[in-house]
Amino acid sequence: MLRYNFIYELRLLLRSRWIQLLSLLLLLLFGFSVFNGMGKVEKRRDDIAAARKEVSASDQAMLKLLDSVERGLDVSVSPWTIPSSPMAVANYYPRVAAMDPQPMAFASTGQADLFTHYVKPTASGDDFSLNFTEMTSPVQLLFGSFDLAFVIVYLLPLLIIAFTYNILSSEKESGSLRLLASQPISIQKWVFHKLILRFFWLSLLVTVSLLLVFFIMGIDPLHWNAVFSLLGLTLCYMLFWFALAFLVNLLSNSSAKNAVSLLGLWVVFVLLVPSVLNQLGNTLYPMPPRTLMINEMRLQKAEATKQQDKILDNYLRDHPEYAINDSTQSRSFWHGYMASQKLVKEALAPIVGSYEEQLSKQQDWTRKMQWISPAIIAQESLNSLAGTSTQDYEAYRKQVVQFAELWRAHFMPFLFNNTLFTTNDHDALPQFQYQPLQQNGGIQAMSILLLMALVLLGLGFAMQSAPRQKGILSDQ
Amino acid sequence: MIAKTCIKELKELMRDGRIRTAFLIVIVLLGVAIWISARQYQSINEQYQSAKTTERSVWDDQGEKNPHSAAHYGTYAFKPKYPLSLLDQGVDKYAGSSIFLEAHKRNEAQFSVAADQTGLARFGDLTPDFILLFIIPLFIILLGYNSFTKEREMGTLTLLKSLGAPSWKWALGKWLALFFPILAITVLLFFLAGILLSNLQDFGVFNWTSLLMMFVVYIGYYVAFINIVLFISLKVKKSGIALVLSLSIWILACLVAPKAASNIAEAKHPYPTRQEFAANVLKDKQEGLDGHDPWSKESKLLEQKVLAEYGVDSIHKLPFNFDGYRMQKGEEHEAEVYLKHYKYLKEQFSEQSKVYKGLAMISPYLPTRFMSMAIAQTDYNTHWDFADAAETYRIATQKFLNDNFAQNSTYGEWSYRADADFWKQLPVFEYDPPELKTILAQNSSNLWILTIWLAVSFSLLLLTTKNI
Repeated sequence: MLRYNFIYELRLLLRSRWIQLLSLLLLLLFGFSVFNGMGKVEKRRDDIAAARKEVSASDQAMLKLLDSVERGLDVSVSPWTIPSSPMAVANYYPRVAAMDPQPMAFASTGQADLFTHYVKPTASGDDFSLNFTEMTSPVQLLFGSFDLAFVIVYLLPLLIIAFTYNILSSEKESGSLRLLASQPISIQKWVFHKLILRFFWLSLLVTVSLLLVFFIMGIDPLHWNAVFSLLGLTLCYMLFWFALAFLVNLLSNSSAKNAVSLLGLWVVFVLLVPSVLNQLGNTLYPMPPRTLMINEMRLQKAEATKQQDKILDNYLRDHPEYAINDSTQSRSFWHGYMASQKLVKEALAPIVGSYEEQLSKQQDWTRKMQWISPAIIAQESLNSLAGTSTQDYEAYRKQVVQFAELWRAHFMPFLFNNTLFTTNDHDALPQFQYQPLQQNGGIQAMSILLLMALVLLGLGFAMQSAPRQKGILSDQ
Repeated sequence: MIAKTCIKELKELMRDGRIRTAFLIVIVLLGVAIWISARQYQSINEQYQSAKTTERSVWDDQGEKNPHSAAHYGTYAFKPKYPLSLLDQGVDKYAGSSIFLEAHKRNEAQFSVAADQTGLARFGDLTPDFILLFIIPLFIILLGYNSFTKEREMGTLTLLKSLGAPSWKWALGKWLALFFPILAITVLLFFLAGILLSNLQDFGVFNWTSLLMMFVVYIGYYVAFINIVLFISLKVKKSGIALVLSLSIWILACLVAPKAASNIAEAKHPYPTRQEFAANVLKDKQEGLDGHDPWSKESKLLEQKVLAEYGVDSIHKLPFNFDGYRMQKGEEHEAEVYLKHYKYLKEQFSEQSKVYKGLAMISPYLPTRFMSMAIAQTDYNTHWDFADAAETYRIATQKFLNDNFAQNSTYGEWSYRADADFWKQLPVFEYDPPELKTILAQNSSNLWILTIWLAVSFSLLLLTTKNI
């Protein structure tokens, strides 16, 4: 029976031009979205490369200046930017702390349009003045990006709905259902066969067109692992929608009704549940207003400025090594500044921590609740596959703050020992290297999606045994 | 005939269980959305008030200080929330709400809400604008996809034709039957919002005219959708196909077009990255006067010019502190640099806007979205306007501080301290958003596009009804 169905279904699909239409549509959608994604990644790479180039150019200039200073020549730059002063290096010659794109970054924009991919932390200023948001038109952020994840999460289910909503009902509407019922196969099984075959064809089309698009666009072949994860996720997500269509097809038998119900479910899973969960997450774990943080930070800074001398004294008492090593004991603006900066940072740590805590609580909430909507599972796992999820940017932010700390600490001995920065010290400057988050390849997400699909299919078959009040053949 | 068809259609819709449920869901969603937004609106306004007063007292209580130290210490401008944001949150979530105003530097608005949220936030929020823009058009499709196809399918079309009444009459009846429920929901929503807003404490600049204008825009949007849905229902033979086609239009107009437009706009007219922007600004700044650097070439030139102007031979003999004067001139140069670079950003955005308007030809969603945000004062233009006002205030503040420094101290007197109550003399930052008239004038092209949508869809519908 399966073999017979298979041949018949293929003929039907080819004759109704579904296969042709779907291949064209998929190629178009995948092509456009991957093209967009690649463009963004390329820009990101270029921006980072340009920033690195700029730093190495300015380093060359710095070395030249240092060389001149060391040979006792006059230099024509503002006196406070001469790199023999360690604080000049710390403030005017920062390093690039960049977040290089992951191999699959093109697949999902995620938070990539919201956050910046490189910053240059300096010794002055503080961690809060490091602005991690990117300069983007907010209209673009509002509309979002036409990326592969959008096609998979939003559009693919709609294609599936259009492809499956009338499997059973069209038989009824064209009158061939009675013929079908006379065959030695149960209706459930027959619908299941049809759906599985359609799933098979659509999966094949999706796989082939995705691979074709990747091939044409030239994805690095080293990352086929990630490509397979992407495909696996997509297929599991598709299976969920097919299973849903199976259930709806069995439950009601008018084409229009099916289409409306499936679309209602699409609206619920893709549009409503995520926004309601987001709203709930924000209500349950509200972010303290940032204005509050600003006020608190201002008060702390004002206090620190007033007591700068005292703070410096205390700092030196805590760090006797500086008093011993330094013969000149001369103190500049920077000595007081750096000492009080440290104090302000410590005083603000609880407030800053409260934002991180709330954000991580919101994330936990999302993780716990995501099984309510397969769209969230798919989107989140695509984001983490692409390395553009909230967690990725949070990790980057933390690493940069750590690096900024390291950068400051590197110059503290220079400053408090009142030693000059020399050509030899250049190579020892700390460098930033982004450590991407570990990826689990979305195995968990795939299993949850599969489980959901199996439950739905099971429900469909369970209805077979339950006595039905109205036969499928009876007129309504 | 018109009234009878309309009443019959309405009765039929009311009998349909699916439609009753959907209607109920839309109403509940709207209620929840308004309730959530009203709560948020209130708490944000409270935060705004307290932040503003605290920040001002921090500024006022600085104590004795050199004016330029105070300039570096800076102050903050906070962006208020406007009443109609209750209905349309626009880009508020993505644009920061506080701007740090300091010496030598124009800062961007910081701390956007979206940056503090999880990835879920990118799916969208349950706000009235989400329902107005996405869900109600879907509801229109649900109500109207089979308006004409069902007559074909049930064979009643011939009956209808045999009645002898002109076909446009019963078509109009059907149109009205689709229009009334939508009108009812929209009126209900806007009326509720109006009542709620006029009862809120310090509701600021809320006026009913803006609300009415917003209402008109949405009704225009819905009418365009009704026309499209009925047109499809007229042209297609089967209900299922009519439904799928109408939905494709919805997907294209509400989901695909905005996203594609945003990608095309960014690819064609990109913004610089934040770091690039800062680097460009720095480069231009270095080419002019640096107020802190008395040794630079520009400083020397300024010195000579001022000496010649006052006919003295030493800066010590000038009637003011030349340090303060130079600081102010440097500030003016820097302000010009920022003006130039921000102008470039605005140009990029206006180029991007053209892309959006171009794609509005395939999507009535786009002009509606932009109009609605503009009227609600939550659009990008209002954000620019606020940022510009803050910048003007920043420049005025710098002049206020530098002038005090220049007039009350002598050259080289960096130890000068302004009085503790001097800071109170700085005027408070007040921001008035653009008025409705200005907003409508700025967005006239969007209004036109929406009108064209209405005209074209109506004439299409009319032409098709003629040859049923």
